[in-house]
Amino acid sequence: MIKYTMATLDNGLTVAVNRDRSSKLAAVNILYKVGARNEDPAHTGFAHLFEHLMFRGTRSVPDFDVPVQMACGENNAFTNNDYTDFYITLPKENVETALWLESDRMRNLDISPEACSTEKMVVIEEFKQRYLNQPYGDEMMLLRELCYKVHPYRWSTIGISPEHIERATLDEVRAFYDRYYQPSQAILSISADIDERQMITLADKWFGHIADMPRAAAPIAQEPDQTAARRLVVERDVPATNITVAFHMGDRRSRDFFLGDMTSDLLAGGDSSRLVSRLVKERRLFSSVNAYILGSLDAGLFIFRGQLMPSTSEHEAEEALWAEMQDMIDGSISDYEMEKVKNKFEANALMGEINVMNKAMNLGFYAMTGDIALINREIEIYRSLTREAVSDFCRRTFRPENSSTLIYRSAERAADKSKM
Amino acid sequence: MNEIYTTAPQQPPLVTPDSVELPEAGCRTLGNGVRIYTLDSDDFEVVRMTLVVRAGTSMQTKPFSASATANMLSEGSATLSAQQIAERLDYYGSWFDVNIDRDYVYISFCSLTKFFAPTSEVAEQIILYPAFPEREVAAYCAKRRQQLAVERRKVDTIAREAFARAAFGEHHPYGISSDERLYDDLRRDDLVDLYRRLYVAENCFVVCSGRIDDEVLSIVGRIAGSIPSSAVVPQPAFPPCRTLHRLHVEHKPAVQSAIRIGRLLFDRRHEDFVGMQVVATALGGYFGSRLMQNLRARNGYTYGVMAAMVNFDREGYLAIATQVASEHTDDALSEIYAEIERLRTEPMPEQELQLVKNMMIGEMLRILDGPFGIADVTIENILCGMGNDATTRAVERILATTPDDVLRLARMYLDRSDLIETVVG
Repeated sequence: MIKYTMATLDNGLTVAVNRDRSSKLAAVNILYKVGARNEDPAHTGFAHLFEHLMFRGTRSVPDFDVPVQMACGENNAFTNNDYTDFYITLPKENVETALWLESDRMRNLDISPEACSTEKMVVIEEFKQRYLNQPYGDEMMLLRELCYKVHPYRWSTIGISPEHIERATLDEVRAFYDRYYQPSQAILSISADIDERQMITLADKWFGHIADMPRAAAPIAQEPDQTAARRLVVERDVPATNITVAFHMGDRRSRDFFLGDMTSDLLAGGDSSRLVSRLVKERRLFSSVNAYILGSLDAGLFIFRGQLMPSTSEHEAEEALWAEMQDMIDGSISDYEMEKVKNKFEANALMGEINVMNKAMNLGFYAMTGDIALINREIEIYRSLTREAVSDFCRRTFRPENSSTLIYRSAERAADKSKM
Repeated sequence: MNEIYTTAPQQPPLVTPDSVELPEAGCRTLGNGVRIYTLDSDDFEVVRMTLVVRAGTSMQTKPFSASATANMLSEGSATLSAQQIAERLDYYGSWFDVNIDRDYVYISFCSLTKFFAPTSEVAEQIILYPAFPEREVAAYCAKRRQQLAVERRKVDTIAREAFARAAFGEHHPYGISSDERLYDDLRRDDLVDLYRRLYVAENCFVVCSGRIDDEVLSIVGRIAGSIPSSAVVPQPAFPPCRTLHRLHVEHKPAVQSAIRIGRLLFDRRHEDFVGMQVVATALGGYFGSRLMQNLRARNGYTYGVMAAMVNFDREGYLAIATQVASEHTDDALSEIYAEIERLRTEPMPEQELQLVKNMMIGEMLRILDGPFGIADVTIENILCGMGNDATTRAVERILATTPDDVLRLARMYLDRSDLIETVVG
């Protein structure tokens, strides 16, 4: 149970704070409601590039990191398809340093042409390091393109290609900042051993003077229902073939999110889960297998992904995954299995409360969904789910016409086969 | 809201902690000689038990047998199948985790305190009665062979292994990297043999942290007290290190090359270890470090670069690691050497050194924020034969470091001719 106080400043900034009596640290999180889904298809990767630029200094603080480190703090950030998140942990006595720095860069960012072009190079190196120079690095990109034809979830946060990042101009950077980095577009959350009212007063002290100049985000085209199975086969220089099967499902705020999450846990949450025990350990078809959901703000995906053992044929692997789905639909789930995954949610939730950073980040995330109280209601929601409801979710979701299958074929395996 | 603040306030004053608090662990010795260290904290309803065994990869006589033994502990026991073990742990939402490094294996169980008793029944089977079933061993080997093959497609992995070979020698227990096909030769007997030889009372200790009540203590005492004793404490002799100063590995196609530069130095017990940690941090241990500023912020050659002191049981080394745009490999190498040279010739500005110190203190505070981090630091101290006052003293040494110290250490230990350079790409 995470206790919190929430407030909205006059300029529209949402503030959520939690008093943690056990920590000497303060965690300060600021979430901006902008992600890759807000990008123009011709300028992808922009939200993430912008996250990098937020560290490039302001008129009064030329280097963001120096004062954080001087205050014994650590800071970082991430961008995903839905939002951009910046966070700092530091001794609680220095909490105002974090607030000073975050409020300063919400209004006074100063990007020179040189800084912009160097940062573009850094992001292009990140693109190479994580997606191009990595076995299976482009797998998720291919899957997104296959599953989404309309919605901007069809590209990854890093963007469609390094050229898009190369093309970004300083004018676009400034326009993006003005549009999305506004108090009413942001959520500030803090967890520390400080009185909650005091934290809200401090938030107002540092952010209250910032004027809000909101411009509505452009509407996002929603993905139409998929009506026919999709399939893509690629061959790559990797040692093993991967098979991914993805299905459209509900968004983070829907009931299907919880059913999907529970389904993925029944299937792949831990060594005793169905897919791991049956397909990896018993039948040895896969070297690893996973089932997970994206949990995105707009309608998301339920994803199965398995890496084939050398002796497994693609056909056999696919069939095995579909048989497991059918088994869920047929109502084979036991009360014991349900209890097991529910216990796990509860233990994970309690263990997650140990850390101030987790708590600050979660407060920000739940506030963004528009229902912050959900943060303490989820265990109860999971507890209330029945095996019938899970089966029904599987029936509605795991339909061939709702599926997208990506075969990421090992070129050497394919060569081995042709020799036989 | 109140209306007092209409303009941006100025930079707030800073507080720099001048010490860190770390409690000494409680300790008792069981009949078989195993020590149990306890770090009690009532704040959370969770408990973690970690068994540390000196059974890391440098202790193995057959390739991959140490990691296979550690990873197979939970794959079936005298009375429980692998599936039953996994089921029971998952049912209580308990965590079981095995980590292995060159020297040690760390076996951890973490659960809500109220579920510690049922969790410990599984722990007992895993620690004391692993069966290493033939079938599971074969499946594990096939799986790992494939996973290692995937790992070795990454320039970073290739560079890490190449650096170890260059630093220690390709036959040294710290330097060896075996062909993944050797997984095919691994047999159940190899695991059973290693387990009997190394998982013995003389070779391990336990650290408990979190909410520890009498029940937890007595259960842990019963399990650890049942670990068998051995007449011989194995301590294989290491050959001397045979260092190769330059090792370039071709890897195509690579849009990025991986670079590792460093040298063998000394382990954590050496009087200059903490000082060299300060030097390594200034060079590449944080976001604002000299190498990050140079290679990333100024030149855009890389997404990241790091430098650190690495501590093994019988050696220690300094390493710098990065992945850079292939076309900038040579530029990056010369910038790295230039930054090292700058540490050796120009005194570090007071302001920068202060920043490095605060960064390091902050890092320590973050690690020690929570019962499990405290346990991890305690384990490190025990492994070096030190109490938790070692951490307090290390913090004092960090704070006492002067620009002259940095210059002296960099001159003494970072001579270009002593450095090892590995490049993959």
